[in-house]
Amino acid sequence: MFSDIPVDVSPMHEGERIRAANMYVELAGPKSIGAELVQVDDSVEDGKYEVIGPELSEMTKGEIYPFCIKIGIKGEKLEKELEGVIERRNHDLCNYVQGFMHLNQRDQIWCRVSTEAIGTGFKLVDLAKAIGILFKEEFPIIEEISVAILTKEEEVKDFVNKAREIYSTRDERARELSDEDVDVFYGCTMCQSFAPTHMCVVTPDRTALCGAINWFDCRASAKMDPDGSIFEIDKGEVLDGMKGEYTNVNNLISQKTQGETERVYLHSVFEYPHTSCGCFEAVAFYIPELDGIGIVNRDFPNQTPLGIPFSSMAGQCSGGKQVEGFTGLSLEYMRSPKFLQADGAYERIVWLPNEVKESLKGFIPEDLFDKIPTEEDATTINDIKAFLIEKNHPILERLDNASDDAKEELSEKKISEEELSENVSLDEVTEANQEFIPITSIPEMTMPISGGTKIIFKNAKIYAEKVIIKKK
Amino acid sequence: MIIAVSGKGGTGKTLVSSILVKLLSKTGKDLLVIDADPDSNMPETLGVDVEKTVGDVREDLKKDINDGNIPAGMNKWDILDYKIMESIIETRDFDLLMMGRPEGSGCYCAVNNMLRKIIENVSSNYDFIVIDTEAGLEHLSRRTTQSVDTMLVVSDSSRRGLQTASRVGKLAKDLEISFKNLYLILNRVKVDNKEELIEKAKKTGIELVGVIPDDKTIAEFDLKGRPLMELSDDSKPVIAVKKILDKIVDYN
Repeated sequence: MFSDIPVDVSPMHEGERIRAANMYVELAGPKSIGAELVQVDDSVEDGKYEVIGPELSEMTKGEIYPFCIKIGIKGEKLEKELEGVIERRNHDLCNYVQGFMHLNQRDQIWCRVSTEAIGTGFKLVDLAKAIGILFKEEFPIIEEISVAILTKEEEVKDFVNKAREIYSTRDERARELSDEDVDVFYGCTMCQSFAPTHMCVVTPDRTALCGAINWFDCRASAKMDPDGSIFEIDKGEVLDGMKGEYTNVNNLISQKTQGETERVYLHSVFEYPHTSCGCFEAVAFYIPELDGIGIVNRDFPNQTPLGIPFSSMAGQCSGGKQVEGFTGLSLEYMRSPKFLQADGAYERIVWLPNEVKESLKGFIPEDLFDKIPTEEDATTINDIKAFLIEKNHPILERLDNASDDAKEELSEKKISEEELSENVSLDEVTEANQEFIPITSIPEMTMPISGGTKIIFKNAKIYAEKVIIKKK
Repeated sequence: MIIAVSGKGGTGKTLVSSILVKLLSKTGKDLLVIDADPDSNMPETLGVDVEKTVGDVREDLKKDINDGNIPAGMNKWDILDYKIMESIIETRDFDLLMMGRPEGSGCYCAVNNMLRKIIENVSSNYDFIVIDTEAGLEHLSRRTTQSVDTMLVVSDSSRRGLQTASRVGKLAKDLEISFKNLYLILNRVKVDNKEELIEKAKKTGIELVGVIPDDKTIAEFDLKGRPLMELSDDSKPVIAVKKILDKIVDYN
């Protein structure tokens, strides 16, 4: 099939690097320009392989040239949406060609031709031909294909500009890709060396909490290293789309965490929040007094409204522990349309550091932006509350409802209001110093006490120096 | 073939590495030098300039991720691959990859995992790889030198230098890292203490592969900031390292 191509074409050449010392010419790359583009085009002339501009034989050894690969495809089942996926294979397929190095994608490609390849009489038109044949083999839905290679500066420039527009349209579409659009999520256990009972779930709407890998990265990883620590999760039945609960996500998490975590809500801090390794870029934490959620990022050095800094909070909710009211998250997840959607998304956020807030301009709904306080506006719960009231934050509605409920229920119980407020008054909570870390912070909890009485704490925070649990 | 050079800081790791590079670069084979010591001065001793290290690439990527600057449809593997290739200093005789500064705060699991794979792939393209490891033993416990064929441990005549050397041997054994070869090199050896040192070296439990005599030209080069690559072929240290190399390398 490749008999008239003078170099070997095979997957065994993948990963081939050509050192500057062994290189004939460099194409595109950091010191020049270039791009690659696959487009569905009905006017494709099948089998047309051409070089527009100088061939390798007309180039000078050791020089760098602009370089584009333009691929037109046609086929009954081909859709425009597939262009990006097909184009992504160009990197692998180009690397099948011995003596040709190809790195990266889009307008960031970097190629080199080895002196050895030149010695065999290899030409760029051979590359075009190899690409054409390999693509058809790889994707049977491609019925017709043409490949043009551009090496003339002017034409490359025009082409790169045109290609960039197409890439950004594709990126917009990729940003729109949501959990509903895919059947496969990814699990990541890269951090299990120090958090053996944690598994990250990565979906189009939820990047890993370290922020380093998104759904597309995971797809690339799982393909590159199928036995690695990133693997596919066939998401299975949707149990709750709003909270983000899926049968197979639950099954796999249970399996990969040795049963430590059995259920997970991808988009909520309540009930079964996503666990954390310790790598998260930020933590979302429930503030019971305000029935709202605060966020703190790793770089924030001071105390949060809970009276503890990021580091203490991170210690409490990392290591694969599922702690209701806390979840680790990435900064990118805060740009997701599903960001804590089950809890009310940004309408539920009542505090976050200024640095984070500024980076989310355009993602926090405009009418809410000024209503969410940062450390510059308030740092204690009382001050935050005052700020929220002043700005008429939507959380107030929730607070009003909640306090009505609380009053009703409280009157039913035989606990005096005074006694409650003596133990956990607001002032005491906000002024609690670092030594006292809340071991639990929950909207409602029933204490198991014998003797016919029942004590229910509403919106309580319990501070303890030591907790001792004894069996009778 | 991967040769790693380790030992206590200041014992002459970089001297040995640089002379290895000097000698191997004349074989006409593809040679990659990895400088894994954040405190080292490899570029200076090899006579090259460094613009970007792997550490810089890692920080840049972290920043781009945080600022949301990575296009949605591109994956970070390919971006990192490109950036690593860009950070390699390419010369006619050898290529140099600087690991650079250690990571900052935050999580580097994912990035480091990607980097490890990428550097593995890059390395597979070379005939010889010389790694100047960071001083100390961390490279062993972090298993970053696991695929090394020959580990050369350099020590000077100091007690602490020899102690570090025997620890390298012990740790490699404890961690079950089986280098094909593990050798000791004694550096800055003077005529009057040679015999005594060789006796002491035996106690480290590592086979002594060679002795580099004390040579005042090294100190002169150091003082003038002259690349060690320019040491003459008949200088004592070069002759000594050549002997060692001939013992550990099969050029065919």
